[in-house]
Amino acid sequence: MKFKDYFSIPKMNDGALKVWSRNFLYFKKTWLVSLFWIVLEPVIYLGAIGFGLGAFVNNMGGMSYIEFFFPALLSSTAMMVAFFEGTYGNYTKLTHQKTYATIMLTRVGPEEIVGGELLWAASKGFFGVMGVTIVAMFFGLVDSYRILLVLPVLFLLSALFSCIGMIFTSFARNYDSFIYSTSGLIVPMSLLSGTYFPLEQLPMGLRYIAYLFPLTHAVAAVRGILHQGPILWIGVHILVLLIATWICMNISFFRIRKKLLK
Amino acid sequence: MSTNVAIEIKDLTKKYDDKVAVDGINLEIYKGECFGLLGPNGAGKSTTMKMMYCSALVTSGELYVLGLNVKKNYREIKSRIGVVPQEDGLDPDFTVLENLRVYASFHNIPSAEADLRAQALLRLMKLEEYQDRSVETLSGGMKRRLAIARGLINSPEVVFLDEPTTGLDPQARIWIWDFFKHLKSEKSTLVLTTHYMEEAEQMCDRVAIIDDGRILTVGKPRDLIRELIGKEVVEFDTNPVDLNYYLGRLRAEGFSYQVIKDTVSVLVKENQEGRRVVDLIASDKIYIRKPTLNDVFLKLAGHQLRDE
Repeated sequence: MKFKDYFSIPKMNDGALKVWSRNFLYFKKTWLVSLFWIVLEPVIYLGAIGFGLGAFVNNMGGMSYIEFFFPALLSSTAMMVAFFEGTYGNYTKLTHQKTYATIMLTRVGPEEIVGGELLWAASKGFFGVMGVTIVAMFFGLVDSYRILLVLPVLFLLSALFSCIGMIFTSFARNYDSFIYSTSGLIVPMSLLSGTYFPLEQLPMGLRYIAYLFPLTHAVAAVRGILHQGPILWIGVHILVLLIATWICMNISFFRIRKKLLK
Repeated sequence: MSTNVAIEIKDLTKKYDDKVAVDGINLEIYKGECFGLLGPNGAGKSTTMKMMYCSALVTSGELYVLGLNVKKNYREIKSRIGVVPQEDGLDPDFTVLENLRVYASFHNIPSAEADLRAQALLRLMKLEEYQDRSVETLSGGMKRRLAIARGLINSPEVVFLDEPTTGLDPQARIWIWDFFKHLKSEKSTLVLTTHYMEEAEQMCDRVAIIDDGRILTVGKPRDLIRELIGKEVVEFDTNPVDLNYYLGRLRAEGFSYQVIKDTVSVLVKENQEGRRVVDLIASDKIYIRKPTLNDVFLKLAGHQLRDE
């Protein structure tokens, strides 16, 4: 296993889209359940934290608390939905359901399976973002064309966590394995990435650690775009997300291909 | 390679870490034949088959399916073969019909064509009334039939069936073997693994008996039985005290035999008489039966086929 093997995205055919479509077909059958957890849950956060708790906060550096919190809500929705699809969803198809083994009986190979699955989990994260955006419109939170600039960033974030989910899936021994990644990574990240309060509130050391979190960069980029922050820093945050996605995508291809082809 | 060869295997080996699963196999399977890979669990027959349908990597050796190299042309091979794996691998997220549709989409069959084929296969497999049921609600036999339908959706030139009747009740087994007779009559090439000797004897044009990752023998079931066993088998139980005495008498009369624990199977050749053995042995637990592939395996491997 050479180091460069981690960095070769394989060529793939339209099979990846067929894998995506398989998942979309299932999604259409179960959209009501999906709606509950990928949209309703964030909306409850929006109400409870944004409006409820936020009513006690007067000023967040020139914006209301709900304005401060909304970009974080969009970002963490993308992260959560893509990550859980990438872990529990993919692990089920890899192991219990033997979905991937069955797909491999056709001309569709491991490259297309991984490609299609990564794209699917990213799409599902993005559907969550769209749902939250639509709901937020009714609360008057989306009042600018700038939301359109934010959506690609959120898709990128979904793609990143879809890849991170896939990597955890490739190491998982059972469903309980995901407790480590959820409690050890996803939950702390969703709390400490400048989501509910500004990073400046964190103790110095922790603040630097927070900059290692991809979510921190996503929240900063989204907030920057929506509230006209400095372009240079927005660019830097997006670049960090791009690099992280590239690396994680390569690792997930390598890991799952090795698992599927023995 | 001649054009009537469907599968050609040369010095094929498969290692998992350091464990040798398939140890230098050579084999040719012809178009239009029903070929059986027989052997106990862990003998390497499923692994051999997995390499043929390109779901396991070849460690060394050559393997050609329909004249295509599995190491390079696996995508083309997979689109021209059908596979019914041991675990059905049906998608529990979908209905019976959707399972076929989704699988057809992986084979790149246009959806209108896929629907036609799916309907025809569901009729053929007597599943049409269940097409909108979730696969989770099907019985084991129905699931297997659906897995077979799925394996046929791309009109394959070779069909691989890994333990197609294992775990099914007798009626479901009979149904499936009857269906294979139908496939055979249509000149499909079938490659299957099984432990059911009687069925393999009836169904397979040729069989390979495999143990410890090696092929012990290949041939037509009847030929193997006649050449290696004879026309009948006389089986009797005895005790360790009398055993040697009986074996001595059998040897003196020119009979060959195999012994498993306290059971002796005497192999009666064409020019010998089974009745003679009955006269020689004073046992009330003695009977004459037709020889089976199981006897062939016993003779070649020295242990029972059903042993795990």
